[in-house]
Amino acid sequence: MIAASVVLLATIPLLFVVYNGLQLSAERWAALWSGRLPALMWNTLTLAFWVALGSFTLGVSCAWIIGRRQFAGRTLATWLMVLPLTIPTYVYAYIYTALLEDDGWLGQLWHAVFGHDAAIPDLYNVGGVALVLSLAGYSYIFLLVRAALMRSNRNLEEMAQIQGASGRTVFFRVTLPLMRPAVAAGLALVVLHVLSDFGAVSMLRYQTFTLSIYLQMSGRFDYQAAAGLSLVLLLISLTFLVLERFFRKRQRYYARAQSRVVVAKAATRGELILLWSWLGLVTLFAFGLPVAWMLSWSWEAWANQMIGAEFWGYVNNSVIVAVLAATVATACGLPIGLYHTRRHSLLSSTFLHLSSIGFVLPGPVVALGILTFVIAGFSSLYGSLAVLVMALVVRFLPLAIQSQEAAMQQLTPSIEQAGRIHGAGPLENLWRVVLPMMKGGMISAWVLVFIDVLKELPATLLLRPVGFDTLPVRIWIEASEEMLELAAPAALMLIISAFPALWIMMRSEIPRRQS
Amino acid sequence: MLQRWFLIGAALITPLLYTASACSEELVVYSGRSDKFVKPVVKAFTERSGIKVLLHSAKSTALLNKMRVEGEHTQADLYLSNDAGNLQIGSDLGLFTPVSDAIADTIPANLRAADNSWIGLSARARVLVVSNNAKDVGFVKSVFDLADPRLKGRLAITNSSNGSFIAGTTVYMLTAGKEKTKHWLEGMKANVDGKVFDKHSKIVKAVASGKLDVGLVNHYYIYRHLAKEPDAPIHIVLPDQDGMGVAWNVAGIAISKYTKKRAAAEQFVAFLTSEEGQKIFAEMNREYPTRKGVAAAAEVPAAGSYVVNDIAMSELGKQRSATIDLLEAVGMP
Repeated sequence: MIAASVVLLATIPLLFVVYNGLQLSAERWAALWSGRLPALMWNTLTLAFWVALGSFTLGVSCAWIIGRRQFAGRTLATWLMVLPLTIPTYVYAYIYTALLEDDGWLGQLWHAVFGHDAAIPDLYNVGGVALVLSLAGYSYIFLLVRAALMRSNRNLEEMAQIQGASGRTVFFRVTLPLMRPAVAAGLALVVLHVLSDFGAVSMLRYQTFTLSIYLQMSGRFDYQAAAGLSLVLLLISLTFLVLERFFRKRQRYYARAQSRVVVAKAATRGELILLWSWLGLVTLFAFGLPVAWMLSWSWEAWANQMIGAEFWGYVNNSVIVAVLAATVATACGLPIGLYHTRRHSLLSSTFLHLSSIGFVLPGPVVALGILTFVIAGFSSLYGSLAVLVMALVVRFLPLAIQSQEAAMQQLTPSIEQAGRIHGAGPLENLWRVVLPMMKGGMISAWVLVFIDVLKELPATLLLRPVGFDTLPVRIWIEASEEMLELAAPAALMLIISAFPALWIMMRSEIPRRQS
Repeated sequence: MLQRWFLIGAALITPLLYTASACSEELVVYSGRSDKFVKPVVKAFTERSGIKVLLHSAKSTALLNKMRVEGEHTQADLYLSNDAGNLQIGSDLGLFTPVSDAIADTIPANLRAADNSWIGLSARARVLVVSNNAKDVGFVKSVFDLADPRLKGRLAITNSSNGSFIAGTTVYMLTAGKEKTKHWLEGMKANVDGKVFDKHSKIVKAVASGKLDVGLVNHYYIYRHLAKEPDAPIHIVLPDQDGMGVAWNVAGIAISKYTKKRAAAEQFVAFLTSEEGQKIFAEMNREYPTRKGVAAAAEVPAAGSYVVNDIAMSELGKQRSATIDLLEAVGMP
């Protein structure tokens, strides 16, 4: 029941899209098919492929190093790998465009190395966008793979080694296949982010579905074409999700109860140098350079006393919205996830897929759908924060469900049955058995949603109450006015605001590592 | 235990019902124009009238979409945009209500809507920025010369989703015809070879540094650069003086059809079109005040000293889709 009503909420944008899409005449559909669609499909899918490859390489390599080796600064390295999550894609795109200009740091370096006439590569192509999105997304894969590595059983790897397999063979034939569920889940997150990304592609003008949909809506005020394109995008994404679920279902690994605790091998001196150079390189581009850039511009603003009291208002607004949306999304995700883990029926997986719609549709479309719905049915609510929170919950619900579901899978029916035998009612069982066991999953769900909401731009831009500016809104406004000294501190504050939430998540993981 | 959860729940719900409660005495302006260019005139207005103005900033087009979906529930009392095209589209969607004739008559007829549902406040000219050190650029007298193969690798333009680029193209298309404009776009596409700029300011910078020779920009970007670097080796060329004239585009304002504060909204528009308001509004960005008799900043070429294309600004909205079709057909980057 609860699950069903949450799913209903999540399908509002879908109704909007289907309604507008249905008004599209057959000829216009045909025109879309023969005109734009092939190119858009090709652009979007190649981008998804390159970003998947890029973040897979970065995420898995770093996770393996940190999960399998004990070395000085390991905790620090873990943090450095997760911190890029706090930087929005449009900020990456913006900063790297600035850095690669003639007078940017990387531009100057390029000229110094390759001579003054060498053309600096630019980011306005699939490679550039893929680079930006990989840097922004690899942390998802890192987090999931590392957690899986920590939990996984080393016996199998050692067995392979005893049989004479080389280190490389072990990694590719044993470790990596074992990681498949985690990698699949991570890739799914990354690809979904790519399909729905709006910030980086619009800044780098790379025509994907989201950008084209947005241009149809904003440039031509053509909701029908936008809805038609959204429907196609939705189909692609759902196909992808179903495939991912299908692969994951076939890959179930059970660790036996007596498997040993994972002990990471201490790194030798040579390895230490190698692994830190790789981790350092990744961090330099994913976090170091962007933050250095933000710091240098923020310093400018600070020195010129440009950061006024209203700045703290933006921070405050951002955090309020993120806390509200994360809490509501986590709570809403719980019944859907629980229902699916218990039943595994057709209905439950339909629920699951329907609830992922918000994540798949472009933010502006979700926002307009919610807007239309609220105006039509609940106009008294209109203009309040509730509408914005509702849209954000719809957008990020799938993220909350995914992370909680992972935790729910540890919840074998026998545990709940034990609770019931001991006389606990269903509610008490939920409260005293299920929820405590799910605490970890709920915390990471909350944190991931919190961070994504903190970074969210298109829906917030459209649905925020009048005059209610958040940090991303300010970054966007200042950056489009080229007031870098004001955009930079806002981006920096975004990182700092996300910090406590990340800390909570990392802390909840540490005992698992030490035990 | 339950009590604690109840408290947490209550704490969560309270902010959800937050609305900008000060709204009742405030004018809400959906603004697609840079905050920093609007704030000074808003401040002056509030000091005069005691009426507060809240700027809700976002992209012009996004705000128009928002108003369209909001309909009668909109919180906007006014809509402000940098592009006449957006204003006219809003007018065609029936989102605005005409301002009184007394206010409208202070502004030339081609710089406002035919039914006065929006009023142009400041104008920008589409001009060329040319490097002082460039050789062989003397032949560039018209924007159509930018398609000349002699400018291959020397031309700087913005990407074709830029609002000013679209507006300029619309003017040329309506004056010189679709065919000529198409050839022009194709020529420029060949000249820039895929390298276009995302900001006008970067074009001026590139021309000033000598990397490129000629750029197509709005006039104020040149003077903004010169204000920072007075010795920059660039100059302005006003194109098409023997022909169709320089293309203009206006920033303007409209009153929402569903405003409940019509009198205050009119008062704001009246101030914006007054001599004082015009001066503050236009001068911040070195644009041309639309009101007759108010001069622009001293450094820009005076309005009236050169030929301006006299197309009605409302056409920028009516023809925008046709322009975008043309740009897409050419595959303009």
